[in-house]
Amino acid sequence: MTNTLRLLCGLALLAASLLAALHIGAVDVSLYALLQGQAGDALQAEIFWQLRLPRVLLAGLAGAALAVCGALLQLLSRNALADPYLFGVVSGAALGATISSLWLPALALPVAAFAGAVFAILLVLALAQRAARQGMQSISTLLLTGLAVSFFCSAVASLLLYQADSFAANRIMFWLMGSLSRADWPAVQLLSITLAITLTVCAVGRRQLAALNWSDDMAKSLGVAVQRWRLVLLLLCALLTAVVVAYCGGIGFVGLMIPHLVRLLVGNQVVPLLFGSTLCGAIFLIWVDSAARTVLAPQELPLGILTALCGSLFFLLLLSRRSTDEY
Amino acid sequence: MQCAQLELRQPDGFVLGPLSLQLKAGKLYGLLGANGAGKSTLLQLLAGLKKPDSGEITLMQQPLQAYSATARARQLAFLSQQQAPSEMTVRQLLQLGLLPHKALWQRDNQIDRDYIQRVLLETGISQQADTLLSHLSGGEQQRAHLARVLVQQAQLLLLDEPVNHLDIRYQHQLLATLRRSRLCVLASFHDINLAATYCDELILLQQGQLIAAGAPGQVLQPELLQQVFGRPCLVDQSPFTGSCRVTFAPEPI
Repeated sequence: MTNTLRLLCGLALLAASLLAALHIGAVDVSLYALLQGQAGDALQAEIFWQLRLPRVLLAGLAGAALAVCGALLQLLSRNALADPYLFGVVSGAALGATISSLWLPALALPVAAFAGAVFAILLVLALAQRAARQGMQSISTLLLTGLAVSFFCSAVASLLLYQADSFAANRIMFWLMGSLSRADWPAVQLLSITLAITLTVCAVGRRQLAALNWSDDMAKSLGVAVQRWRLVLLLLCALLTAVVVAYCGGIGFVGLMIPHLVRLLVGNQVVPLLFGSTLCGAIFLIWVDSAARTVLAPQELPLGILTALCGSLFFLLLLSRRSTDEY
Repeated sequence: MQCAQLELRQPDGFVLGPLSLQLKAGKLYGLLGANGAGKSTLLQLLAGLKKPDSGEITLMQQPLQAYSATARARQLAFLSQQQAPSEMTVRQLLQLGLLPHKALWQRDNQIDRDYIQRVLLETGISQQADTLLSHLSGGEQQRAHLARVLVQQAQLLLLDEPVNHLDIRYQHQLLATLRRSRLCVLASFHDINLAATYCDELILLQQGQLIAAGAPGQVLQPELLQQVFGRPCLVDQSPFTGSCRVTFAPEPI
């Protein structure tokens, strides 16, 4: 099967998923009737336009963003275990959210979380750049710095929550488990713009990315400005993840699992991998969110729990299959 | 390409240089020396992958640092010794060689595809063009990397152990191709006789110092070789080409 055919299949599947997810929910909404302009009542239309549509779109965008960040980071770091949460984005966001809900209740949660995530990312990049200038391997330094900053931020956040009242703690905990219930049109706009910019940069820099995936020396000898490209791509990844985390909380495993799945289908080529991850990530999270909305309806299941369940089972399956292949 | 009083001090105490050398257009230079003599380090310095602590490298009368990364890659191609295999086909690797010639938004056109096909044929890997590199033998991978270097269309090639992993037949084929190309090539070798057969000039390194440079007949002196490689040796003429032939005395068993 050629990649063009795969792309068409993926797009068809995405469209079908969007349509199906729009029909799934606590309140029955007939899409056909809505588009005919003859909805039963104004409440139905309100639910559809202000709640369900932005939520389904945000699910697709968040899944796409996390998956494409994962794929991009795996290419850049030449490490199959790289993940968008690598920079301490989630724990930075959690710290921001904790601080705001304890002391700055006027500040909206997404804004505070975004500020926390950006703080963590900048800290990681600055520390890693400084270490790289002293001649250390920049990739492994980046991974280790991300890990350290991540633990630091979550330690501080835990300490603050431990001292705080249980209501605030619950609020943060629930947000950390991931949910799309905050979905609104500004979130959809912001995320789609960031995602579009990232995908454009990746498409334009596909050769540079392929060279970087070989080795720094290979990229340098082919005339790639290694430091500049890496910094731009890392910042875009970080920004994209920060936006997702700020609105949706912690949704783990998408950035790790989807690129692996796509790699099984199309190999490790830059363009098919990145765009395949975008499509698959979107389809995956649309379905997971549909499940989260309906399984325990009218209650909502935290999204992060479902993705982590799917992801860990998927990995165990993959590992057991691989080990039977090899021995 | 020229370099003058080039020196690099590494944190582990290894010092390369100070050394000066000149590479002239259209000549094939062989870089010889024992393990750890600084062959790879010198090539990386000249390729601009490492910065010298002192000294200057000029490429076509301009300092190497004055070139942008892309402009440098159009003039100078580098083949490093170890290449971790990547999930990429031979043809895709060769397409990467076009990177310095392409603007970001440009796509590969028919001319590029024909050119890549020609290089694939020249280097004898057209059969494996659409095979993943990780499925090829070490020798085939090495040929694919050399083909990538040729696709880059640079005037100066810096090659670290280009004949490593290659069968005898391909060793000779490759060096003859390089010789015929009339490009300026600096390549490191382990096989002294191979270098002596094909190279215009040899450069001998020992512990980061340039010991001798010149025509193979001048450089391949028995005393000098014994000093560098630690074995007594005999230099005579190859019955085929009349070029120098070095035979090292075996270690008594």
